[in-house]
Amino acid sequence: MIWLTWRQFRVQALTAAAALAAFAILLAATGPHLAGRYAASAITSCHGGGCQSAAITFLSQLQATSTYPVVYLLGIALILLAPAITGIFWGAPLIARELETRTFTLAWNQSITRTRWLAVKLTLTGLAAMAVTEALSLSYAWWADPIGKAIDLGGSTSLFSGGRFSSLIFATHGITPLGYAAFAFALGTTTGALIRRTVPAMAVTLAIFAAAQIAMPLGVRPHLIPPDRTIATIESSGLDYGSLTATVVPGQPGAWLISSGAINPAGQPVSTLPAACAGSFGPKVLSPGPCLESQGIRETITYEPANRYWPLQGIETGIFLALALALAGSCFWRVSRRRT
Amino acid sequence: MSAVIETGGLGKRYRRQWALTDCTLSVPAGHVVGLVGPNGAGKTTLLSLATGLLAPDAGTIEVLGGTPAAGPAQLARVGFLAQDAPVYAGLSVADHLKLGARLNPGWDAGLARDRVDRLDLDPGQKAGTLSGGQRAQLALTLAVAKHPELLLLDEPVASLDPLARREFLADLMEAVAEQELSVVLSSHLVADLERVCDYLIVLVGSRVRVAGPVEELLAAHHLLSGPRRDPATLPDGLEVISASHTDVQTTLLVRTSGPVLDPAWTVSGVGLEDLVLAYMSQGAGRRRRDSPRHLEVQK
Amino acid sequence: MIEFHLDARSGVAPYRQLIHQVRHALRLGLLREGDQLPKVKDVVAGLAINPNTVLKAYRELEYEGLVAARPGIGTFVTGTLDGGSLAAHGPLRRDLARWLGRARQAGLDDESIEALFASTFRSASEEDIA
Repeated sequence: MIWLTWRQFRVQALTAAAALAAFAILLAATGPHLAGRYAASAITSCHGGGCQSAAITFLSQLQATSTYPVVYLLGIALILLAPAITGIFWGAPLIARELETRTFTLAWNQSITRTRWLAVKLTLTGLAAMAVTEALSLSYAWWADPIGKAIDLGGSTSLFSGGRFSSLIFATHGITPLGYAAFAFALGTTTGALIRRTVPAMAVTLAIFAAAQIAMPLGVRPHLIPPDRTIATIESSGLDYGSLTATVVPGQPGAWLISSGAINPAGQPVSTLPAACAGSFGPKVLSPGPCLESQGIRETITYEPANRYWPLQGIETGIFLALALALAGSCFWRVSRRRT
Repeated sequence: MSAVIETGGLGKRYRRQWALTDCTLSVPAGHVVGLVGPNGAGKTTLLSLATGLLAPDAGTIEVLGGTPAAGPAQLARVGFLAQDAPVYAGLSVADHLKLGARLNPGWDAGLARDRVDRLDLDPGQKAGTLSGGQRAQLALTLAVAKHPELLLLDEPVASLDPLARREFLADLMEAVAEQELSVVLSSHLVADLERVCDYLIVLVGSRVRVAGPVEELLAAHHLLSGPRRDPATLPDGLEVISASHTDVQTTLLVRTSGPVLDPAWTVSGVGLEDLVLAYMSQGAGRRRRDSPRHLEVQK
Repeated sequence: MIEFHLDARSGVAPYRQLIHQVRHALRLGLLREGDQLPKVKDVVAGLAINPNTVLKAYRELEYEGLVAARPGIGTFVTGTLDGGSLAAHGPLRRDLARWLGRARQAGLDDESIEALFASTFRSASEEDIA
């Protein structure tokens, strides 16, 4: 059965291997240069507050090049898309194709039970999907390490702004890619088993997975561990005066800033500059901070501290793995049912 | 001789329709069994129940003394060829043989190789490019090379041209002779079955109408023609299968255990095709009188 | 090795046709004592008929003492059909010609004669078997 799984999977496996190899070559060609630039930058010799400006300089120079932004974005895109692609092209046809072409009459009349047939196919192909996505993630993490370090030091440009908690990066680093890949694959095989037609199953898988991929960072992830709240001074929160939102969680380096808002002394939200401070913010005067503070306005911040990164990774991955197992279980149930 | 297929009140339902109703059979071993009936009569359903692709909704079925598809051992004893012989289009002929070798402990590689050579199949050719007859032969090779005791074929020659049809049946008979297989093959054409079957099951409207060895059935059925007469006036022991009347003449196809002695009748034998057609029309007539629950959809 | 053929339309059961062809071959000398009859699997491969049909024919020939089955090897001719009855052919032919003459005088055409002969022959054969 292992041979048959491989033989049916051969083309997809080789395609994935080729894509992985091409990406690896790209990373290998540009990675050492990136590390070199980092080593040669002012970051390696900076202290304290000067590090942030060194980091900004490094990243700005990087953004101005032609190759590094492309590879950066390509890597993120590949890791985000890999689960969907394996779910659609490896998962959806796994059972649906056999039902559609009626080859199940051949497969299920050999001297092997349906359960064993499905177990081998699901496990091997699913593990391959997870391995591909995680391989992309790990190799990319190696390549992008200098950029991550610069961002952690407070560096930020229009392109390189996502810390490891940001929506795009969190799902592409660590172990979450495993969870997404497993979930997308199991989703594909289950929709294929239920719908019994490959192309509609691919469409449904894509729709559901895309919805999950969007819903998780927007609505679910901030609540996986109840976030902390704090009330900070305007100054310490690095307030953005246009939106009155914080940019830094004071005393919590590397924290995930989920949401923030200005509040008045009575605790009510303040969404615009109060009239009293209107004149202090304009083309010539840049700091309404003291004015706001004198009004008793402070910033309330909802955040997750940095040390919750791995617990959050674990919980999110765990959720998707559990969903994947439940879906896989329903595949077994559906395949053994023998109603039609 | 033990039974290869033993069913008791077997039934299978799709949503609200019964595809197979109250099927009780005891199919003996060592025969080539023809399963005949119109499209939609339940032939594929019965065969699928026997291989374990489907589970019954009513009644019981035992194949070779075991539950269908109960485990690898049971699966190894029964070979199946589905309608239109589905094969993996992207796999070559040799790949299919490897599939058989890897998934069947009882696989006879020599037999498989010999068959492929004899049939002039190119081992490297992708199965998707084979002709219908070649696909059927490849599927038969897969079914036969694992040395099953029972072979089930669902309309194996329905879509083949006459030459391919003859070659397939000849090849099948050779395998039966060599390996002492029991075979059940279904068809909606009687002509295919007449040469090869020595046991007959007629399935019409989800029910078994008649089952038995061909020789016995042919001996027990007669065509009676004579002056116009009400079938109800016939003596007991004569079961009328079909009747047709003109204003002066009555023609009956009857089943009887003894000889027909009434001199008013001209008695002649019945061919297999006419016998099956008579039961098919009987089934059709009865179907129209059945309750709507038992109406079956003919394609 | 003789080769069998089948006439699907003759109304004669296939196994009977095989028996007839063996007897015919014996009569013509195509089969002699010690010759092997075609293997069952070769017969069915050529004719696409049920192996039981061939087995039945061979069994009946064995019962008539014309052949003997050697398990694992094949079926071999052991007896002969005496064409020595050639002597009986002459008088039988003359009787037949006389009967044909009478049938024509009674007004029967070719088809009627054949039908009469065939039905009488068949019922006589069935009585032989019964």
